[in-house]
Amino acid sequence: MQGVQEVLLVDDNPADISLAQEALAECKRQSNRQIKISSVVDGEQAVAFLFRRGKYANQVRPNLVILDLNLPKKDGRAVLKELKSDPELCRIPVVIFSTSQANNDIVRSYQLGANCYVSKPVSLKSYFATLQSIEAFWFGLASLPQEGE
Amino acid sequence: MNTSTEKIEPPATKLRVLQVEDNPLDVELVQRELRRAGFDFTAAVVQTRDEFICQVQAQCPHIVLADYNLPQWRGMEALAILTHENVDVPLILVTGALGEVTAVECLKKGVTDYVLKGALARLPVAMHRALREKKLRDQRKEAEESLARKVEELARSNQELEQFAYIASHDLQEPLRMVASYTQLLGERYRGKLDETADKYIGYAVEGAQRMQTLIQDLLAFSRAGRKEPAKADADSNAVVKDALLNLTASIQESGAIVVCDDLPVVAADRLQLGQLLQNLIGNAIKFRKEHAPTISVKAEAAGDFWQFSVSDNGIGISAEHGEAIFSVFHRLHTRTEYPGNGIGLSICRKIVERYGGKIWVESTPGEGSTFKFTLPAGAGQAKGASA
Repeated sequence: MQGVQEVLLVDDNPADISLAQEALAECKRQSNRQIKISSVVDGEQAVAFLFRRGKYANQVRPNLVILDLNLPKKDGRAVLKELKSDPELCRIPVVIFSTSQANNDIVRSYQLGANCYVSKPVSLKSYFATLQSIEAFWFGLASLPQEGE
Repeated sequence: MNTSTEKIEPPATKLRVLQVEDNPLDVELVQRELRRAGFDFTAAVVQTRDEFICQVQAQCPHIVLADYNLPQWRGMEALAILTHENVDVPLILVTGALGEVTAVECLKKGVTDYVLKGALARLPVAMHRALREKKLRDQRKEAEESLARKVEELARSNQELEQFAYIASHDLQEPLRMVASYTQLLGERYRGKLDETADKYIGYAVEGAQRMQTLIQDLLAFSRAGRKEPAKADADSNAVVKDALLNLTASIQESGAIVVCDDLPVVAADRLQLGQLLQNLIGNAIKFRKEHAPTISVKAEAAGDFWQFSVSDNGIGISAEHGEAIFSVFHRLHTRTEYPGNGIGLSICRKIVERYGGKIWVESTPGEGSTFKFTLPAGAGQAKGASA
């Protein structure tokens, strides 16, 4: 049994973050895994959080990043690029979670090193189911690198 | 193109005559004839090719009167220059002698008329006719140009509208997703915790938001049907219809529908769009059924370079007065409780069919059934009329 799983949600819409938190809270109840969710609302905050800069200096590195593509200040693609160019941070799995279903967004994301691309479902039911699948896959099925090794 | 030459000058403007003539006496005789006929004109006289070009470019004459034989060049060359300069000016040959054969040849080449110097009295008549014809030509050209402009404007505004529909529906999806999700969440988390009225109202909000989501998705599908470039590859209708039936499995089973498909052709259309088209039509045939299980048949027959498909049912049918309207966006003949839907399906069908240069229409007897027919271009390598 692993310890607490840290998830970083990057989304400019607080309503979307709440929704994802609700969904992940439901996951927690079902999977009995311990999940801690942090969230930031723009690309600059996301980078600062991940590189532990400024007020995020004491942050624990997340085990999973759920990243929206269209973000203010720094675009999700730029965040992804920066993250995947860093020798340390590149091993953190990044799930792109965007409403865009455009093929060029999907292709570009994988080119930049996204670990998977998931379209935000429109209905609440599939939204919850999707986040449950993401949680189950990354924290249940996949083996993740242990932090600090 | 020099646009000033195309304008029809108001009568107040003097008629600009360009004479190509080396004989001063003939120049004078022609001018006298014009004055006598009441022409209010200014005349420029040129003798050489270069002078002619210079005058045509600078003065934009209304009419050219050219001698057939000149010492350095020929009147017919003037015509060639006008053609080359893309200037539409009537040219009348004014000449001492011109055999009938030569005359006919000149007219064929585009000379407006010819007048013999010995019969100059005919010149005014010839000029009036030439100028009248030119005016009509200009008017027709202007009408054609204005029509072409309108067509272009219409195409552009249509395109803008489609773009707008796409962007609007795409961008509306996001906030709407929030409204739908949170009203649903409210409904789930707080059912029975408020009061009955609250539950009912939340139910209305959830339903409204969900309906709007379907509507927006349909609108998006509609605008995408127009945006997508027609595919280069052909589609085998047999495989496409099979997929469509697979997608309709639930409603086929629920209604007990029997769908009979003939051997269908290969058509020059995008596979996905053809699928959408057939699925919409077959889906409608199932939806608008009578009490009993519907029987639906899908057929195709050759029609020149096109295939004419038909999807027939024994459902409720459509009265003739609605035959055309059902293909327009949001047009519904029934209430949502009778038959669900947004009234977008058939407009998508029409858009797809028209994208490939085809047509779609309905033939129906109310109470007995409908046959939707549409045409699509035959796929490459399909022998015309090689109907199965």
